[in-house]
Amino acid sequence: MAIIRIGLRAQLLFSASFLLAIPYLAYQYVWELESYLRLGQEQTMVGTARAVATALHERPQLFNSQSAFLSDVRPGKDLYAHKIDSAIRLDGNLQDWQPYDALMIDYSTDNLLNPSSTYQPQSLSFRHMVGQFGEYLYAVFDVTDNSVVYRNQNSLHVDRNDFLQIALLLPDGVFQRFIISPFESQWVNAYLLSDANKAVSLQRKIQGQWAQTEKGYNIELRLPLDYLAGQIAFAISDVDEDSNGQVKYSVGTADPTKSDDLGTVLLPSPQIEQIIKGLEYSNSRVWVVDKHKRVLARSGDIQKVSGFSDQTDKKNEGLWQQFEADWLLPLYYQILTKPPTQFVDDLKDAFALKGRDLDQALRGESSTLWRLSSDNKAVILSASHPIFMEGSVMGAVVVEQTTNGIRTLRNKALEQLFHFILAMVIVGSLSLLMISSRISSRIRTLRNDTEHAIDIHGKITQHLSPSKTQDEIGDLSRTFVNVLTRLAQYNDYLENMAARLSHELRTPVAIVNSSLDLLALDPKADDAGVYIDRARDGIRRLSAILTKMSEATRLEQTIQRCDVETFDLVALLNGCVQGYQIAHADRVFTLKASVARFDIQGSPELFAQMLDKITNNAVEFGVNGSEVFINLVTDSSKVRLFISNKGELLPANMRAELMDSMVSLRSDKQQSTSSGGHIEPHLGLGLYLSKMIADFHHASIDIENQSDLSGVVVSLSFN
Amino acid sequence: MSKTIALVEDDFALRENYISALSKQGYSVQAFSNRALAEAAFTKQLPDLAIIDIGLGDELEGGFHLCQMLRALSKHLPIIFFTARDNDFDTISGLRMGADDYLTKDISLPHLLARIAALFRRNELLQTPLQASDVIQQGDLCIDSKRMTLRWKGTPIELTVTEFWMLYAIAKFAGHVKSRQQLMDESNMVVDDTTITSHIKRIRKKFQQIDSQFDCIETVYGMGYRWKMQA
Repeated sequence: MAIIRIGLRAQLLFSASFLLAIPYLAYQYVWELESYLRLGQEQTMVGTARAVATALHERPQLFNSQSAFLSDVRPGKDLYAHKIDSAIRLDGNLQDWQPYDALMIDYSTDNLLNPSSTYQPQSLSFRHMVGQFGEYLYAVFDVTDNSVVYRNQNSLHVDRNDFLQIALLLPDGVFQRFIISPFESQWVNAYLLSDANKAVSLQRKIQGQWAQTEKGYNIELRLPLDYLAGQIAFAISDVDEDSNGQVKYSVGTADPTKSDDLGTVLLPSPQIEQIIKGLEYSNSRVWVVDKHKRVLARSGDIQKVSGFSDQTDKKNEGLWQQFEADWLLPLYYQILTKPPTQFVDDLKDAFALKGRDLDQALRGESSTLWRLSSDNKAVILSASHPIFMEGSVMGAVVVEQTTNGIRTLRNKALEQLFHFILAMVIVGSLSLLMISSRISSRIRTLRNDTEHAIDIHGKITQHLSPSKTQDEIGDLSRTFVNVLTRLAQYNDYLENMAARLSHELRTPVAIVNSSLDLLALDPKADDAGVYIDRARDGIRRLSAILTKMSEATRLEQTIQRCDVETFDLVALLNGCVQGYQIAHADRVFTLKASVARFDIQGSPELFAQMLDKITNNAVEFGVNGSEVFINLVTDSSKVRLFISNKGELLPANMRAELMDSMVSLRSDKQQSTSSGGHIEPHLGLGLYLSKMIADFHHASIDIENQSDLSGVVVSLSFN
Repeated sequence: MSKTIALVEDDFALRENYISALSKQGYSVQAFSNRALAEAAFTKQLPDLAIIDIGLGDELEGGFHLCQMLRALSKHLPIIFFTARDNDFDTISGLRMGADDYLTKDISLPHLLARIAALFRRNELLQTPLQASDVIQQGDLCIDSKRMTLRWKGTPIELTVTEFWMLYAIAKFAGHVKSRQQLMDESNMVVDDTTITSHIKRIRKKFQQIDSQFDCIETVYGMGYRWKMQA
């Protein structure tokens, strides 16, 4: 079964990758913030619109033009006087009107005053618009006429040629008609027209230029605004060569002969404009429209207004700013969009607005609308608020702003956020990678070291060096070192055990061997009995060695099966010391006990066995004639037994291991110094067995050098 | 006059056994239980052969010191180390000190006696003139089986009795493979294979000290050793 191996590094990186959710949340938060800002902007703008509307409520004089009260607006008939930005030269040249070309309206078939089936547009049609500049209303006619007929120099008739009629309702309520009927391409003035179509008098207030062109003629006119009451009609009549002085067709904005059916002209209201002029500095474009959505006034430029002023572009030319500008920002703006500095504004010269928000405002409710500019570059927010007059909606205020300010703000926030995300991701991943690499490399090193420390046969070949790092892996390393060291010592013990055994066994084997050889040579010799005895002695020594070898196992079994009894330790010590004194005459044994009787639980036989081992060590490692001092000390909480001797010291580095494993410190010399012919083999089990017995008596055993370094002391503490 | 053998051994029973055994062979035996006694006796009179245990009482290396002392007194006195220690390190140290043989205590009495006899014979023959019949010539190798001496390209090489017997067994019939068991039998030893191997190594080394190109003792894996015929 193949299990995919996933390294620590991968695991760490995987779990850490969930941290990436944090920058994502921050990103979401910024977007959320933006939508709140938009909401705020909406509210602000509705507020602005309401404020402007408030200034305009209930002021009928602002809406005094006739058109304001019309129930509906007829395109072509109800004219809108566009605001003209520069003065118009009345020269018949339409160059001045070029910027407003799109606003011209075509008049042809539909505007025939006397519909005729034979009408041809090339016979008479024109493009026309009105504009306002200064105190004048300007009108332009780009007339197509295949046959231009001028007034005869000598004719009194003004209507037997091509002419322009203007019908006006003057401010004082008088209806008047004027005619422009030139002799040639020339500067023209209007003549007041009587009911019988006779020129009554020259009216110099209406003047202009008539200029013949290839396809017909152009007329540029101007009339003072104070001459207007809002109702007007223009009509051009065509007389052809072959029509015998009769008007063939008349095309006009309205019928100039019907005083009750004139068209209207809407002039942007200077009063309203004055009111909202102050809003030019309010960072938004403000429109005031009448209820036909025609623009009464506007102020501000949407290209310039951004909603929020961007004040964060300080020019710091530090290294960081350079790096930010050259590397980071281009990267970020792969994702982010920069608000456009230029975009197509559909409403630049609009004279009428449209939109759901405006519809709703004209129904009496303020509302807002988000829309895209036609080139999809900018988002424009418009807020509308109705203007009331005597309970009915008279018009509306529309306030527009782009969201560029908010977007700039958002971009700035996101830039900062991206800085942090980038830094976090880089630093975080690097440090994680480093930490995990370090951990896994340390673990790998430890693994390899451990693997190499033991060869394939389980033999310890080299020692690890313990790590000095104070963390879990360091602990692990140290534990490994510890374990291996103990194992090495135990292995060492076992290996030496064989050598020691072969050494110990060889002499008795040689004795048996040689005795048997001698017997074989001469079975009937007189001293045959001696050889047999020697052979037996050798065999006895062999069995003693074998017995020793299994002592630990047997002791364990004994301890398991041992019955616990209560015995007096002081009495036991007394007995033992007397025995030792007899056994080792070359040593002085001293017993000192601070109490007369001390009962403990355990087995006196085992305890004596332990004392034998300890004392034996004390004798063997001590110098001849020295004292072995046994001291039983009791204090409030603990009872302690010390067995000390003068002589050889313990090696400094092995104190702890002495008890733990089967370590023998005896040199070969000590192996063979045992008294007499009866050699007691040493297998390094003494202290190990002592510890087993001490544990059985709930005592802890320890061995250390005496403080004055004159010898060794074994201490037993009873709990 | 019987040969005198000095036996330095600290174990009482073993000492007594070997005294009996050697006496029965007609040798006169001087037995010592420690180095001091032995040295005192040796300064007065040298034995004809010495058998020395390495560990003597308290002295871990008493036998080595004794061997050095004896070698200083006599160049030709045969010395046998007879010890419980069987590790390579002790064997090499012992032989370096000039011992003629290194035996572990578990060797049988007859084997020990055979070595003693061989050493005595060699010493005797060294003093008599050379007889061509005893000499085997095998290429550059010249073996005198009686005197237990050999020369390689004219240069004498000193081998212990055990080593000599082994080499003799291998070189007697060049090209014949001798198994380890055969070598053991020839050299009167009962040891493990590793001991044979280390003996062979030591013999090769002794040859190589004289002739670094020496490669005549060939290992036949799985079988044993043979003397390679020289081209």
